[in-house]
Amino acid sequence: MWIRPWGFKEGCLIGAGLLVTGWLLQITIGEIDWSLFACPVNIIVLVLYIAGIVAMHCLRKRVYFFSWISHYTSAVSSLLWVAGITVVMGLIRQVPSGHPADVLGFSRMLSAWPFILLYIWMVTVLGLTTLRAGFPFRWKKLAFLLNHAGLFIALITATLGNADMQRLKMTTRIDNAEWRAMDEYGKLIELPLAIELKDFTIDEYPPKLMLIDNETGRTLPEKAPEHLLLEEGVTEGQLSDWLVTIRQTIPWAASVATEDTVKFTEFHSMGATYAVYLQAINQKTKTAKEGWVSCGSFIFPYKALRLDSLTSLIMPEREPQRFASTVKVYTEDGKQVEDTIAVNHPLNVAGWNIYQLSYDDTKGRWSDISVFELVRDPWLPAVYAGIIMMVLGAICLFVNAQKRKEEDAE
Amino acid sequence: MTWDYFVPFSIAALHFWGFGAFAAWRGRKPYIVGGLTLIGLAIFFSFIVGMWISLERPPMRTMGETRLWYSFFLPLAGLITYSRWRYKWILSFSFILSLVFICINIFKPEIHNKTLMPALQSPWFTPHVIVYMFAYAMLGAATVMAIYLLWFKKKPIDSREMDLCDNLTYVGLAFMTLGMLSGAIWAKEAWGHYWSWDPKETWAAATWFSYLIYIHFRLGKPMLYRKALILLLISFVLLQMCWYGINYLPSAQGVSIHTYNLN
Repeated sequence: MWIRPWGFKEGCLIGAGLLVTGWLLQITIGEIDWSLFACPVNIIVLVLYIAGIVAMHCLRKRVYFFSWISHYTSAVSSLLWVAGITVVMGLIRQVPSGHPADVLGFSRMLSAWPFILLYIWMVTVLGLTTLRAGFPFRWKKLAFLLNHAGLFIALITATLGNADMQRLKMTTRIDNAEWRAMDEYGKLIELPLAIELKDFTIDEYPPKLMLIDNETGRTLPEKAPEHLLLEEGVTEGQLSDWLVTIRQTIPWAASVATEDTVKFTEFHSMGATYAVYLQAINQKTKTAKEGWVSCGSFIFPYKALRLDSLTSLIMPEREPQRFASTVKVYTEDGKQVEDTIAVNHPLNVAGWNIYQLSYDDTKGRWSDISVFELVRDPWLPAVYAGIIMMVLGAICLFVNAQKRKEEDAE
Repeated sequence: MTWDYFVPFSIAALHFWGFGAFAAWRGRKPYIVGGLTLIGLAIFFSFIVGMWISLERPPMRTMGETRLWYSFFLPLAGLITYSRWRYKWILSFSFILSLVFICINIFKPEIHNKTLMPALQSPWFTPHVIVYMFAYAMLGAATVMAIYLLWFKKKPIDSREMDLCDNLTYVGLAFMTLGMLSGAIWAKEAWGHYWSWDPKETWAAATWFSYLIYIHFRLGKPMLYRKALILLLISFVLLQMCWYGINYLPSAQGVSIHTYNLN
């Protein structure tokens, strides 16, 4: 061992060394606090790291380790360790910051020294490989460079830029402007922009009917529950043995308690619920039941129909189809932007991405508040540059699948 | 179109795929092989399109629906491989794999729900899933090849057969990379961050690294066939964790935002 040229054994031992070093660091100085890397520290670290890699590249003829590190045995062994520790991360439940992690740090892997050291090793392999293959530049190395340099850039900028990323939560109320938002530690931060919530809407899917077990409350048939979606035009359907026929539908309904039962009437106001009057006939026993079924709202209770001693017919809460907030955003330089923010449809204003996050779920579609997440990530363009290089690299990989042999033989 | 029509459509498609595979095995003319397989693909795809229209959303949300795409892409991947490298048996492989997934869908259908939650309503949804399913199909084919070479082939492994494993893995890995990166860009749109180390993402990273080990190992030690093939199998096990294993993994319970099919 340690006879040149080094191979997998040496590579795996280096990984083991990094793992043990990582554990020692973890036990002695504790996990990594990524917030320490906020600008300008991350810029300094980045410059020093790149300078270090370039120096290693230049000294590769003098120091054997520096030339070995861009060798494929180093690449394979670093990847083995990185894949291994990523699998460990996948197997151990990760705890969020603020909760105590285990001694070795594996339950908060992203801050654990062994994880970080192994990833640094892999990224260094990537960096040195890129330099070796990239200088002097040759066109036939393009795909190779796009893949390796792209991943290098994406990983480094995503990691170092993380501390500069701000993710804030802002709660807005209809017709009010808000300019304060909370960070993950609950600190209130004043922003250079204000959001006025004009309107908040939830579009819902049509309601469903399902059967539940009276005892357990579980949907039936167990494991593969059936449902009947009450779309427009649907007036009857089959649920297990029960033939369900809809007699009356009130999309905007209120429940009214009569002397011995509950019935529903039209109600076009806040808190209205969806109700249907239906008949259910059991195909086997020929028993028939009829009555109101409703999913309820934050004002009105839900209403189930008991079919027999074992089963009831229920209408679960309607599933949301779209959440959307109509907003007016004011920026410091006097700009006003009016737009709609929905899930998968964020709004970008003055360097901030504004996302639809949540609402008052006790009121559902009658919510008069809307919660936004505001994200600012100044390093995003660099990460995306890396990602785009990798996309192009992957396309080349596909196109060249056949020709590859000759290219990478060296 | 509903799942009730799945059996006739899939049986018809399987027949054409089976005839195509048989024709390839017997060394019939490539246009006969291609034609039969394409008719099968057209039949199966028309079911997918029918489901898409009647569900009013792409059929990609539940496990049963992704298996639909997988069953479709396997013969397609087989046909592409056949038309490029003319391996006689590749279509039989893809046929058997596709048959397995169709049978799972017939005998163990999972909740087929019409609704699609807002987080999935994005132009990225379709390409993200399709690209991944195609990658899985290619890597699945590479796995079957590896099993054949490791335990069933009597004669020594031929370098051309290793080339096939490499090619399937390269194409699969390229698509997997595209799937992962499109997922990252979509995650930025939907959740505010491109990579959150959600259990699904963690396992996707592990799988991706594992396939990278295979291709780097092959470049460095091209003569160590068996070790390389075992790497291919381990990678595919990781892929299963990423695809559906996390739905059952204790460490991922209740924390993954990628579990859409569990109600």
